[in-house]
Amino acid sequence: MSYPIYEICSLKHTYVNRTVLFIDHLCIKKSSIIGLFGPNGSGKSTLLRILGLIEKPTEGKIFFNGYPVEPFSSKARFLVSLLPQEPFLMKRSVYNNVSYGLKLRGNVSDIPSRVKEALFTVGLSYDEYAQRPWYALSGGEMQRVALASRLTLKPQVLLLDEPTANVDAHSAQLIKETSLKARKTSGTTLIIASHDLQWLYEICDEVLHLFQGKILGSGQETFVYGPWQNMEAGKWGKYLSDGQIFYVTEPPHKDAIAVINALPITDNIVDGGEGDVDLHGTVYRLSLERISGQIFMTVLVGDLRMTMKLNPLKNNNPGWFPGKKICIRYRLEFLKWI
Amino acid sequence: MKRLLFTVICIALVVCIIPAGGMARNNQLMMATTTSTDNTGLLDYLIPKFIEKTGIELKWTATGTGKALKMGENCDVDILMVHAPASEKKFVNNGFGTDRREIMYNDFVIIGPAKDSAGIKGKSIKEALQLIKAKKGIFVSRGDNSGTHKKEISLWKSSNLPVPEKEKWYIQTGQGMLATINVATERNGYSMSDRGTYIKYEANMKGNPPLKILVEGDAVLLNQYSVIAINKKHCANARYDMARKFIEWITGKDAQIMIKDFKLLGKQLFTPNAK
Amino acid sequence: MRLHAKLCNHHRSCSRTYNYPAKKMNFLLDGFIQAFHLLIIGDAETYSAIWATLRISTYSIVCALITGIPIGFSLGYFNFKWKQPIRIIVDTLMALPTVFIGLLVYSFFTYRGPLGHMGLLFTVPGIAIGQTILALPIVIGLSATSVESLDQKLRIMIISMGANRRQLFFSTLWEARHGLLASAIAAYGRVLTEVGISMMVGGNIKWHTRTITTAIALETNKGQFEMGISLGLVLLIIAFCVNVSVSFLRRR
Repeated sequence: MSYPIYEICSLKHTYVNRTVLFIDHLCIKKSSIIGLFGPNGSGKSTLLRILGLIEKPTEGKIFFNGYPVEPFSSKARFLVSLLPQEPFLMKRSVYNNVSYGLKLRGNVSDIPSRVKEALFTVGLSYDEYAQRPWYALSGGEMQRVALASRLTLKPQVLLLDEPTANVDAHSAQLIKETSLKARKTSGTTLIIASHDLQWLYEICDEVLHLFQGKILGSGQETFVYGPWQNMEAGKWGKYLSDGQIFYVTEPPHKDAIAVINALPITDNIVDGGEGDVDLHGTVYRLSLERISGQIFMTVLVGDLRMTMKLNPLKNNNPGWFPGKKICIRYRLEFLKWI
Repeated sequence: MKRLLFTVICIALVVCIIPAGGMARNNQLMMATTTSTDNTGLLDYLIPKFIEKTGIELKWTATGTGKALKMGENCDVDILMVHAPASEKKFVNNGFGTDRREIMYNDFVIIGPAKDSAGIKGKSIKEALQLIKAKKGIFVSRGDNSGTHKKEISLWKSSNLPVPEKEKWYIQTGQGMLATINVATERNGYSMSDRGTYIKYEANMKGNPPLKILVEGDAVLLNQYSVIAINKKHCANARYDMARKFIEWITGKDAQIMIKDFKLLGKQLFTPNAK
Repeated sequence: MRLHAKLCNHHRSCSRTYNYPAKKMNFLLDGFIQAFHLLIIGDAETYSAIWATLRISTYSIVCALITGIPIGFSLGYFNFKWKQPIRIIVDTLMALPTVFIGLLVYSFFTYRGPLGHMGLLFTVPGIAIGQTILALPIVIGLSATSVESLDQKLRIMIISMGANRRQLFFSTLWEARHGLLASAIAAYGRVLTEVGISMMVGGNIKWHTRTITTAIALETNKGQFEMGISLGLVLLIIAFCVNVSVSFLRRR
């Protein structure tokens, strides 16, 4: 029986009395590409650090290939590598940075060729860059060298924290390509945290949404923030920028966040029931989710961006395109508060 | 770069390890003396001749009288050369030292500006100090509990005057003799110095010092130098035999003549008086 | 003047072989001239003092670095219960006056003291031990600071490359090398220029434990300020040479 590459059980992580991560159970399959999406402070970086075995969770267990692991565990030490958000290198030349991991393992043979290969894959010429000191690189070049130094180790898992933030466009492109190539050639599992939801949906097998340390759903939900008003007739809601009212059930407190599952109305469904709310909006973006073949749609309703997943077979190609005005509907009874 | 680091470290270690020799105190004799004695240059002139003659390596450290006696009591030295007879006798009585022998003397003098506003020139000690106090002439004292300072205090007492302390015209430097004379020069004041240091000061000033000798010759101004060996019964580690050799040498005819011949600016600093 | 010269062969205090105007306040300029004069003619007393200074300061800085850097680095690197109080103690010890240390060391090395039998009083090793005590808090404190001021990202990078605890420790040590060098330089400057310990423990014995700094004190006490200044400048020249050679290590 083959184990998932990661299994997390009852994970809880606290910083100074604040719980930043709370994951009951999570399994990650080998060679998959997992995306982590969420606002700042949702715990993405913390989760990556814990999966990267840099930090030990306050409570809970992590299993890697079936073995319980923690930082410095021999079972995972050379197999997991995290690339942090901000470009950072050690105070030595590019060559020594890239070869550092190899030297740690005692892999002294043919280091120069492996360094050359690694630099080539991130688009840096060996002759030009190998002897450069750490302070003579741009942010993008630095991040590429950092990636190269991890790739040369051929890890089983590569964790990327916002790989395209803090770098120039060209470097971002190269980093994206190189990571995917690693997965293709070596079967590396990729776990990527990013703000770029569209890119995540393009490449990932699964995108996990993190919010305040918890994993919520998988992309269909829309998060709507308050403050909420008590409308007439005992109803609650808030005004959108175009005058429409976004109705909700009674919020547990003034600043609670509403989570809804919206769907576009096709011609088949006309009248809504008691607990249905219909809103007018414009199709903003359509993209294809890789593995499942489903369509991922973003609709602008006033100032809200509502995200929804559609099964192309079910909807029989209703002819939606960006800019088309459509109706969407959500059910109040399925509204969740967080 | 690593190679450079390595070389530097090697050099440093080599520098450290080399002169480990000379640590054994086998043929060494340690003497404590006072700064005023050392500052005259007598020891620089005299001691090498002792080393040449006997092969005993005599090293000396110069501090204040009080500290020198304390070092003797603490067994850190083997022999003392000081000039504070009262304290010395107490030292011997306490059993710390033996074989006290007087070797030479010079005298103390009262010096002051040529202008001599208090008019003490040629007077006796008693009169001079009384005049200085009356006219509130600036007087610069060692103020450091040294032999010289103790002598100065005894002079005030024997002149039936209260020992000055906080008076505005009385300056206590807390420093050595030459430094004190320099302060007196700056302030155009009077001071009491031993003749040896004064002659050195004269030599420093190329024979034309701003302060001149105004009072001298009084019997009470005598400054007697002696050597004392540290008592082996008190300090088991005292090199008594070598100390005795030095005492015999310095009280011997040759050394005594050398002491007489030690001159600065053609003037004799010390008068040998070993018996 | 001729009799003068006869009696003084190598005596620094008498080597006035040049004429200069007897202006009182000009000792700065005179000091400068005399400093180079002493070095060039190879005045034996001066060179003896230079050699003593170099030996003692090298002894003490090497000992202080060998013991202090591991302690200081570990103090900054690890987290443990007594970390903060120990830091405060170390920082306070950095301000120990040299005469106080000299007094303490003297009271240990004096014959009647606990370590009297080692015969370290009035010797070069004795002074070096005292100076090591002086330098140690500086090395420890500044090393700890240099570790603590390392970027947190370093730890993440090294671990994500697969280092174990030992490799993490030594890699961090190497990354902190610039800060550690700075602590060594600061400690060396302190040790090179102190007087209190050399005087109390060494006794300022000519040809043996007379260092440049104690020689300066002596000359100043004798009222010979020009000599004091010139010796001070000699010391400065030495410090300069040492720092020039160290700067090659500093080059990134």
